[in-house]
Amino acid sequence: MSFALQAGLGFLRQAMLLAGIAIAIFLLIRVIPGDVVDSMALEGSLDDDAIAALRAELGLDAGTLTQFRIWASRALVGDFGNSLRFDRPASELILAALPTTLGLAALALAAGLVLGIVMAAAAALWPGSAFPSLVEILNLWSIALPTFCVGLAAILVFSVWLGWLPVIGQWLSPVLILAVDIAGQVAKPLHEDLKEAATASHIRTARAKGLSPARIVLRHLLPNALTTVVALGGLILAGLIGGALTMEVLFGLPGLGTLAYQAISGRDYPVIQAVVLVFAAGVVMVNWATDAIQRSLDPRLRQ
Amino acid sequence: MPGAALAIPPRAGGANGFSFGMAILGLALLVAIFGPSLAPHDPLTQELAARNAPPDALHWLGYDHLGRDVLARLVAGTRISLAVALCATLLAMLLGAGLGLAAEALGRWPSFLVFGAFDMVRALPSILLALTLMVALGIGIIPLIIALGVAYAPHMALVARAAWRRESATGYVAAARVMGAAPLATLWRHVLPNIAGALVTQAAIIMPRAITTESVLSFFGLGVSPETPSWGRMISGASRFAESAPHAVLAPVLALCVVTLGFALVGDRLRLALDPLRERGR
Repeated sequence: MSFALQAGLGFLRQAMLLAGIAIAIFLLIRVIPGDVVDSMALEGSLDDDAIAALRAELGLDAGTLTQFRIWASRALVGDFGNSLRFDRPASELILAALPTTLGLAALALAAGLVLGIVMAAAAALWPGSAFPSLVEILNLWSIALPTFCVGLAAILVFSVWLGWLPVIGQWLSPVLILAVDIAGQVAKPLHEDLKEAATASHIRTARAKGLSPARIVLRHLLPNALTTVVALGGLILAGLIGGALTMEVLFGLPGLGTLAYQAISGRDYPVIQAVVLVFAAGVVMVNWATDAIQRSLDPRLRQ
Repeated sequence: MPGAALAIPPRAGGANGFSFGMAILGLALLVAIFGPSLAPHDPLTQELAARNAPPDALHWLGYDHLGRDVLARLVAGTRISLAVALCATLLAMLLGAGLGLAAEALGRWPSFLVFGAFDMVRALPSILLALTLMVALGIGIIPLIIALGVAYAPHMALVARAAWRRESATGYVAAARVMGAAPLATLWRHVLPNIAGALVTQAAIIMPRAITTESVLSFFGLGVSPETPSWGRMISGASRFAESAPHAVLAPVLALCVVTLGFALVGDRLRLALDPLRERGR
C-alpha cells in the first residue's frame, strides 16, 4: 500500500470515529432528564402555551433524528448553538479560550520533550554519571505524582506560603508541572531504546571508526530512537489534555478547561457539547498525525 | 493510535520499592476497613466555631472550612475513594476484558464492532470522557463508578486483546480448537487463567488513575455528592480556603500522592512477576 493511500485510509477512519463521537455526545445530552425550557419554566412562570412556543422556537419539539440533522449540519460549519449562560455563540466562547489552552499545551509539550530527550541522551552518553538515576527519578515522579496534586501543592507552597507573585506562577507553574510530567514519560523509554540501539552493528562500526560518543549518540542513535517519542504521542497527549484542563482551573487561566468548568457548574449543555467535540477532534487529528509521522519516520511500519 | 494504552509505565524502584509499595497499600487498606469505626470524631459533625482551625492535640489534622474534623474525613474518605476506584476498576475489567475477549473469540465481525466502539471511547481522554458521562448521569457514587469504569474499559480491552492474540498463537488453543471446543469455552477454561496476570497488572495501573480522576471530577463539581467524604471532595471544598487552612488541603493531597506512589511501586513489580512474556510494554 502506498504511503499516501495509507494516510488517507487512516484519515477516513479517524473521521468516522469523530462522527461516532458526535452522535454519542448528542444522544448523551438528550438522555439528561429535562431540557432548557424545563429549567427556564422552573425559574420563571411560563404557562403551557409559552412553553410549547419556546420549544417550537428552539426546535426542541422536532423528532430526535431531525434535531440531530439540524445540530450536525450547523456543527459542521462551526455553529454549536448559543451558550445558555452567556447568551453568546458557543463557538465564540471556544475561540476566545482556545489560544490559552493551545499555548499552555504547546509550551508544556516543547519544554517537556526537550527536557526528556536531553536527559535520556545525557544518560546514554554518560552511563556512569548521575543522569541515569535522574531519568529514573523523573520517571517515578511522573508515575507517582498526578499533575493535579503537584499543582495544588505548588499553589500552597509558592502562592500561599512564599507569597510569590501569582502573575508569574499563573503560567510558569502549570507549564513546568506539565513539562516535568511529560519528560518523565519520555525519558525512560527513550533511554532504554538508546541503550538497546547502542548494541547495533552500525554503532559498533561507528565506534570502531573512532567517532566520539557524543557524535554517535546525537547523529546515529537519537534520530532512530525518536520514533519511540512519536509512538508515545497518544499517551502523552491524553495526559497533557487532562493536565491542561485541571491546571487551567487550578491556576485560573481562561482556557477551554475553565470554560468546561464554568459550563458544567452552569449546566450550559451547548458549551459542554462543543468543548468535548473540539477536544475529541483535536485528539483524533493528533492521533492520525502521529500515525502518519511514525510511518514516514520508520519505513518498517509501512508494510 | 494502536497500542497507546498498552504503554505501561516502565519499571520503577526495585525489590525494596515493592515492599514499600505493599506497606503503603496495606496501610491504606487497613485504614479503609477499620479506620472509620476507630476514628474518635464523626466525619459529618460540624463545629462552626472551629472552622479552618489548625491541628491541635485532640484534632490531629485540624478542622476544614465547615468545621468538620479533617482526620475523620480523611479516614472516611480513604474508604470511599478506594472503594470507588476498586469498583470502577472491576467494572472496567468486566466491560473491557469481558466484551473485548468475547468479541475477539467470536470472530472477525464482532471484534471489529466492539473494538470500533472502544476506539471511539478511547479517542476522548479518560478525564474528559468521565466528565461528560457524569454530566449526563448526575452526581453520586453509582454514576461515578459507571463513568470511571466506562472511561477505563478500553484500556483493559486492549491489554486483553493483546494477551489473547499472544495466547491464541500457542499450541494449546489450537489443540482445543481441533478437539472441537466452542470458542467461548476455550476462552473461559483455557485462555483466561493464562492471561489473568496481564489483566491484574493493568488493574493495578488503572486503580490509581481512577482515584486521581475521582479527585479531579470532584474538583470540577461532579463526582460524589458534596457532603460525602472522599479525597476529591475534601480537596475541592478546602482548596478555596487554602490560604487560611492549608492543612485541610494538604492532608487529602498527600494521601492521594502516597497511595498513587504505592500503586506505582507495586504495579511495576506485578508486571514483572505476572507478565513475564511481555518485557517491555510499548
